Formats: sequence, structure tokens, C-alpha cells
Amino acid sequence: METPLTRWLCLGCGFSYDEALGLPEHGLPPGTRWTDVPDDWVCPDCGTPKSQFEMVEMGYADGGADLARIA
Amino acid sequence: MTKSFVLRSGERGHDVIYSDGSASSYVAGHPGSFIARESSFNFHQYQGGRPGFGTIRVFGDEVFNGAGCGYNMHPHHNFIICAFVLEGELTHINTAGRGMVDQLRQGDYYVFSAGSGGKHCELSISPENMNAIYLWLMPGQLYLPPSYHRAHFDIRTRRNRIVQLVGDADGALPVAQDLRVSRLVTDRAGRFTYTPRTPEHGVYVFVVDGGATVNEVALARRDSMGITGAGALALDVPDSSDVFFVETAMLDDARIRAWEKAHGADLID
Ligand SMILES: [Zn+2]
Repeated sequence: METPLTRWLCLGCGFSYDEALGLPEHGLPPGTRWTDVPDDWVCPDCGTPKSQFEMVEMGYADGGADLARIA
Repeated sequence: MTKSFVLRSGERGHDVIYSDGSASSYVAGHPGSFIARESSFNFHQYQGGRPGFGTIRVFGDEVFNGAGCGYNMHPHHNFIICAFVLEGELTHINTAGRGMVDQLRQGDYYVFSAGSGGKHCELSISPENMNAIYLWLMPGQLYLPPSYHRAHFDIRTRRNRIVQLVGDADGALPVAQDLRVSRLVTDRAGRFTYTPRTPEHGVYVFVVDGGATVNEVALARRDSMGITGAGALALDVPDSSDVFFVETAMLDDARIRAWEKAHGADLID
């Protein structure tokens, strides 16, 4: 069985990376696993390195997932 | 089982960020002004300490030195950022709702929830130094509607009792997290009890000024301590003291667990 999709939070600014959504504008299609995000990738908002993201088990607020898709 | 750690003032991460040089686009103001930041937990370049405590990711004791010193407008998501002004005057600008320009002085504090996205700017305009405690919290949910609330803690009229500033008490600022921030300012010796909602909640105790003996551990100015599993905390305060309490749900966090495993000796059982 496939491992569930995860969400990651930038500890420099709070930007969230959601495997389900990816970041299509930054070349990461929906479904891109965190392990497949390049090691030299940095937070698009604040430049914090990938190693300083934390996995979070958190749901979206009402309507939040739609906002995250266009973030 | 009660578990705790003690973090002495000098053991905190220390950063000095100048407003000229490579960080100048981030730090506002005149050349020669600078921010001195003491971090209780890992933050930016400082990665040597505990990664956090419960929902707390940043506990920064920051001094903005010199006129026009601060952080330029920059973006956030999700984090709940609180500031408690100890000295000086803080000009805070944010984009929550219709946006806000606020000025905060001694005793004033705010809760800014960046949620689905918001920017803020932190400035000390006057030549007087500005000292504030900055607290960053994990939210309960991602992409909450951005919000800003502010209030005042009157140091003169609310002495010698523990007052809740952020949380679910009457008059406290609301927060979208299982969390309470309280403050005790004293002008005489006394014994106080802090009772968390449950023993499973952690309490981070930070001595701003004076001193306090917490569950028989003596803390001096800017020392701090985190405790979990305690039904109540007994505090003995010598005379004039100023103590913050951050009570938080304890998340099962892989980064914090890994750090604790690697630094087992730093924990006092
Ligand atoms: Zn970031």
C-alpha cells in the first residue's frame, strides 16, 4: 500500500508544501513526494533550505486547500 | 512522570543582524542600527538548540538598537506570531484583513495569525531601544483566515497575580491553538501556583526580570525552563520579578524527539 501523502512547513516563514498539491509553478507537479524534491531546493518565499522544513499532521481550515492550490 | 529542562540565559542562540551588509534588504533602517536576538529554540542560522517545545517554534528575546531599526515587510503563512513589548515602542504593520498599522508600547502585545498568507513589518522608529519577546506557534490548522488582535497588560494594576494574556480566559486574546500565555509581575516576595489545564500540557517558564524558583529550580534573569507532566508548578519569587508562562499542548514531534534522544543528558527527570 502506498504511504499517505504528507505536508511540510517551512520553519523560516510558515510556507507549507503539500505533496498532493505540489508546486506546479516551481516545476513540482501534484503528487511530488517530499523525498523527490531536490536537496538544494529552498522555500520560494524566504529561501530557507529544505532541511529546515518540518512534517506536520494538520488539516486545512475551511476553504484552505483551495487557497493553497493557488498560493 | 514529570520531565523538565533548564535553559540558562547565556545558553540561548545569539544573533546580531545589521541593517547594512548582506541582510540589509531584510533589516530596515539606518546603517549602524542592528537587532540582537537571543533564541531559546532553533531559529534561522541558529540550529544548535532544542527545535521547539509543544507548539512553540520560536521564543525570541529581541532588542532593536538604534532609530529606524527592524524587519522590512516580509511574507508568512500559517505561523501564529505574538509580540510582547517590554521596553520602547514597536511599530507593527500587517496585511491581515484590511491591514493594520499599530504602535505598541510597554505592556502592549499582539497575536498575528498569518494563516493563508500575510505580510508584516516590525520597526522601532525612535532612537530608544525596543525590547520584545517574539513567540511563533504552530497553528491548529493550515490556511486559517489571517487575523490580528492586540491588547494591553497594565504592569501597575495587575501586580502579584498570574494574568492570562493569550488563551481562553476572559479578556485574553484568542488563539487558534491549545495554548495559553500568562504573565506574573511582582513587587514583593511571594509563593504562586501555576496550574496547567492538564498534566499533559507543557509549560515553558521564562524569567524576564528578577528571579524565580520553580519546582525547586532557581532561575535568574532570562533563564527559562520547560516542564511536562506536572499537575502544578510552585513558584517562589524573591521580590520584583517578571515571569512569562507559555502553556502548550505537547505535539508528538519527530524533530524534537530526535533532538532529545541525542541530548539526553540535558533533560532533568
Ligand atoms: Zn519559508
